[in-house]
Amino acid sequence: MSIEPFNRLVKLTARAFYDDITKMESQPKTGRSDNRGIAVVVLDALTRRQWVREEDLAKELKLHLKQLRRILRFFEEEKLVTREHRKETAKGAKIYSAAVAATGDGQQTGKEGEEKIKLHTHSYCCLDYAQIYDVVRYRLHRMKKTLKDKLEDKNTVQEYICPNCGKRYNALDALRLVSMEDEYFHCERCNGVLVPENDKLVAQEVGDGDDNARRRQRENVKDQLERMEAQLKPLNDQLNRVKELAVPEFGSLQEWEARATAAARAANSSANDPSKSSQGLGYGGTPMPFLGETKVEVTFSGVEGKEGGVKSESASMDVKLMPPWMIKEGMNLTTEQRGELKQEAKMDGSSGQVDSSDDKKSTVQNGEGQNIQEEYFKAYYAALLKQRQEAVEAAKRQESLNMPDFDDLPSNRQVGMKSKREDDEADNDFEWEQPPISGNASESYKVNDLNAEAEPSGDDDDDGVDWESD
Amino acid sequence: MFFHIVLERNMQLHPRHFGRNLRENLVSKLMKDVEGTCSGRHGFVVAITGIENVGKGLIRDGTGFVTFPVKYQCVVFRPFKGEILEAVVTMVNKMGFFAEAGPVQIFVSNHLIPDDMEFQSGDIPNYTTSDGSVKIQKDTEVRLKIIGTRVDATEIFCIGTIKDDFLGVINDPAAV
Repeated sequence: MSIEPFNRLVKLTARAFYDDITKMESQPKTGRSDNRGIAVVVLDALTRRQWVREEDLAKELKLHLKQLRRILRFFEEEKLVTREHRKETAKGAKIYSAAVAATGDGQQTGKEGEEKIKLHTHSYCCLDYAQIYDVVRYRLHRMKKTLKDKLEDKNTVQEYICPNCGKRYNALDALRLVSMEDEYFHCERCNGVLVPENDKLVAQEVGDGDDNARRRQRENVKDQLERMEAQLKPLNDQLNRVKELAVPEFGSLQEWEARATAAARAANSSANDPSKSSQGLGYGGTPMPFLGETKVEVTFSGVEGKEGGVKSESASMDVKLMPPWMIKEGMNLTTEQRGELKQEAKMDGSSGQVDSSDDKKSTVQNGEGQNIQEEYFKAYYAALLKQRQEAVEAAKRQESLNMPDFDDLPSNRQVGMKSKREDDEADNDFEWEQPPISGNASESYKVNDLNAEAEPSGDDDDDGVDWESD
Repeated sequence: MFFHIVLERNMQLHPRHFGRNLRENLVSKLMKDVEGTCSGRHGFVVAITGIENVGKGLIRDGTGFVTFPVKYQCVVFRPFKGEILEAVVTMVNKMGFFAEAGPVQIFVSNHLIPDDMEFQSGDIPNYTTSDGSVKIQKDTEVRLKIIGTRVDATEIFCIGTIKDDFLGVINDPAAV
């Protein structure tokens, strides 16, 4: 998962720079509407998602939509988040929710002709990891540069202020300000003596003597710089760590949807969902079913030709890099999508079950014997319990002599039954080492409850050993 | 920084200069008019190095003056931010010192003078290090770096710093 370091970067950034952002609050802050920290929450939430509709995000974060919008707009200006607005019908929104149909606006409008539906503007947002990386680096660079310049007094134009009339001058005015009478600069307006203004700190301590104040300011800046380096070290480390990694990119909303569709379809190719396929055909004029799988760059760039070459390239790169990841994360978004996910998971689960049972089948081919053997033991113990005879071994041998012909009989049994039985018998695993012996009847084992079986299992091993010795 | 460029100017010549030496008179008048001036666009005109061509003269109605469009090559000097210059100190005061690099005036404020130099008022105001080995006073030559320029239509003023590596006093005539 190459996205993890980037998410960590985002989280660190959020805590470093957006911890107590109140700028987006336009009205004066009251105690109740103190929303500091919300920005961090929103960013964190976005790290767990890809493209997300803002309404859904607001609902999940239990935020007012307007508040969320304000925060997102702020982050958009900060270049951390990309947003996309588009007009879509209720149906279109649903399609997004499914995150399966690759719908473009054009295709939608085609559909709208028949059904007269109101258009709503929906906004989507997503983290832009590549840009975040750059923005954070730039921000750190600027911070450091400002402090360093201050420390070394580099490129700073000295400012002067007239204490009488408050008029400000800077060093570029020096020629006009110099007076022949004494060694100070004089205000053009009131002829007052100008004082240099380093910053507020120094202005307060002007009486203290120029040099002293300056030295103190330098100390201050130095201290600030040191603290900055120390406190932002984790962020810097994370930046360095991320430097080598490929940046996760989701592309534009449309691309992302298209990819999610493709990935989902690739995932469900076995379990063919008719509703989905119909959606895909109805809305995605250009269904791209195997985009994620086949990695044919030509089709991709062809589809995205209008988006611009670079983007499509990067997007296709992305697809190449981690389609399986896309599948998983893509499903993991909003509630609707979660519903989708569930569906998905169900399918996956079912297919997984099929797979696993297939696996089991194959293991059963060798495990077959074990099953049989277990059955056998059950039957055997049933018999044992009933009979309590001394001549057990003899009987067993008899049975074994009779039974080998039946070996392939159970293999025709239904898969479901077997898997059920597996569950029941999970605790009997240790018996598997024993050689295959076919049981006589499965009903008898059903009559017995597990507790009854568990007790004699101790003897069981001995028996097995006996058998092996045979 | 110095540039060698071609400029054009309309010269007005008094009728009394008309004659055999018209051209020489025109050039000498051009030199007198242009050299040492400053334009914000090109900087200070240091010297005219040649005449490209002199266009057809146009007699002004009423005055008898003739206007010649003259194209001439000249050397101009224009200071840039970040440029290193050598300059002569012209005035020292508590706020810093002024220096001249040719036609350009440069002000170095006291917070752009190294911290170990202190202002000493007196007969000859100066900046001196604590051990007295380096002294900046009038006529001292310093090497400085320009950190800001103000360019007006007819004036260029710079502020500089000597608070950097290899900047500061390069030759002090008073010490020799």
